[in-house]
Amino acid sequence: MFFNVKKLKAKFIALLIFVFVLSGCDYEVSPWSLDADCSDEVSVARNIERLKAYEQKVGPRAEYQVAIISDPQQYPGSFEKLIKHVNTLPEVDFILLTGDLADTGTKAEYEWVCKVMEKAKQPIFAVIGNHDALAFGKDLWARVFGPEDYSFTYQNSKFIAYNDNKYEFTNVPDRDWLAAEAAGDAERDYTMVFSHIPPWDFDLTLSQDLKDLGVDLGVHGHEHSFDYWQITGVQLPHYVVTSTKKKGFGLLTINPAGYTLENCTTSSCTVAQLRNRNASL
Amino acid sequence: MAIGRAVVLIFSLFGAINVSAFDDVEDYLDLQSGSLMGLAHASYGARLDSHNLMIGIGYVPELSYHKEMLLYSLRYRYENPTSWDIKGMAFTPFNFGVGVLIGDHPDLFVQLPERYPDGYYTPSAFRIIFNYQAALQVTPQLQAYFDMSIMDVGFIGYIREPDFYHDNYDYIGLEGIMNWGFGARYVF
Repeated sequence: MFFNVKKLKAKFIALLIFVFVLSGCDYEVSPWSLDADCSDEVSVARNIERLKAYEQKVGPRAEYQVAIISDPQQYPGSFEKLIKHVNTLPEVDFILLTGDLADTGTKAEYEWVCKVMEKAKQPIFAVIGNHDALAFGKDLWARVFGPEDYSFTYQNSKFIAYNDNKYEFTNVPDRDWLAAEAAGDAERDYTMVFSHIPPWDFDLTLSQDLKDLGVDLGVHGHEHSFDYWQITGVQLPHYVVTSTKKKGFGLLTINPAGYTLENCTTSSCTVAQLRNRNASL
Repeated sequence: MAIGRAVVLIFSLFGAINVSAFDDVEDYLDLQSGSLMGLAHASYGARLDSHNLMIGIGYVPELSYHKEMLLYSLRYRYENPTSWDIKGMAFTPFNFGVGVLIGDHPDLFVQLPERYPDGYYTPSAFRIIFNYQAALQVTPQLQAYFDMSIMDVGFIGYIREPDFYHDNYDYIGLEGIMNWGFGARYVF
C-alpha cells in the first residue's frame, strides 16, 4: 500500500497545533462578559489589608515613597515593564494607579491589566477612569476592584480615592463623602486625594473645595503627559502623571517636613516643577 | 434600536434577491455558539467560489456573568480549497474570516450620546472580530466547524506588544487573546 509520509506528517502536525491552540482558548459568548479572571490580590480591600500588615511590620517610617502610574490602557506590556521597575525601588511602599486601565471596558482588557497588577510587590490601589467605565466596565470594576470611592491611611497620612468621571457617572465626585473622609485633617501629616481626572477646566471650584477640606495634594492621570499645577489663590497642588504608553511614572517622596514629586522613566527622574494657573479659562 | 431595523432591512434585501438565480452562489443557514458571537448566533450566508458573506443575529441570556443582550454580525470568510479526507468526509482546515459584531444593550452605543463632546469615544457597541475555522463536511448539505476568534483589541495588542502575551500566556501568547466556539451550517 502506498502512503505519503510527508502528507501524513503535515496533517498530524496541523492537527496537533489545532488541538493545542484550541485547548488554550476560552469559550466566550461575547466580548462583554463580566467574569474577568482576576485574583483577589488586585482588589481594594485586599490591598488595604496588605498595606496595614506592612505598616505593622515596618513601624513608623521617617520617609517613604509612593509610585504613581496611569493610563495603561492598550499597553499592558509597557505597564508590566513599569511595575517590574517599581518592584526594584526599595523605598516605594505602595503604588497608585490613577485610572484608564482598560480602553474599551471589556473583560479581556481587565484581565491583561490584572495579570500585571498581580506582579506588583507592593500594595497597588486603582481608581476608576473614564475608559474603564465604558461598555459594562462599571460592573467589571465592582467585581474586580470593589468600590469607586475609598480611602486608607498610612504613616499618619490619609489617601482618598474618588470617582470624578462626569460623563460616565452622575453626581460625581461625591463631595459630601469627600468632606467626611477628609475630616480630622489637623491630626494627620497629610491628606492626599487621587482620581483619574484633574479638576475639570469648567469646574475648578473643586480645587478650592478640596483645599478647604484640608487636602494637601491631588494626584491624577487622564491627560497622558506630566503636569503639576495649582490655581493662583487656591494653592492646592495637582500632580498629573503621564501615560504608561509614554513609559513614565511619578514618584512621590513623603516625610513629615514635606513632600517632593518627580517625573520618572525607568532610567531617570527629574523633579516636577509646580506652575501657577488662573481659575478661569 | 436603529441597528436592529437596519439588520431586518438587510435580511429582507437578502430575501428579496433570489440568490439561486446566480447559479454559482450557494446559500446556507449557519448556527454558531461561542467564539464571541453569542450563546447562539444564527446567520444567513452566501458563498461564491471561496468567498462567503454572512449576516446574523445572536443572543446571550442573562447569566451570572453576562447581561442579556442581542448581537448582530456582518462577516466575510475565505475558504481555502485545501481538503483532507477523513473517513469519507472532507476536512477543510484553512478558513479565515473577519467581521463586525454589534452589541445591542442600553450600556453600549453605536452613536455617541449627546452628553459627550464630539469624537470623545469610538462606538462601544462595535467590535471587529478575526476568526479561523476548521470544518468537516458531514453530509453534502451539512458542515460542522470549530471556530477560533480574536477581538480587535487583542489583535492590535498582540502585534504591538507580543512579548507581554508570550511571557504571560501559553501557546505563544495566543491563549491571552483567542476564544473558541463551534457551529454548523446547512446548505439549501
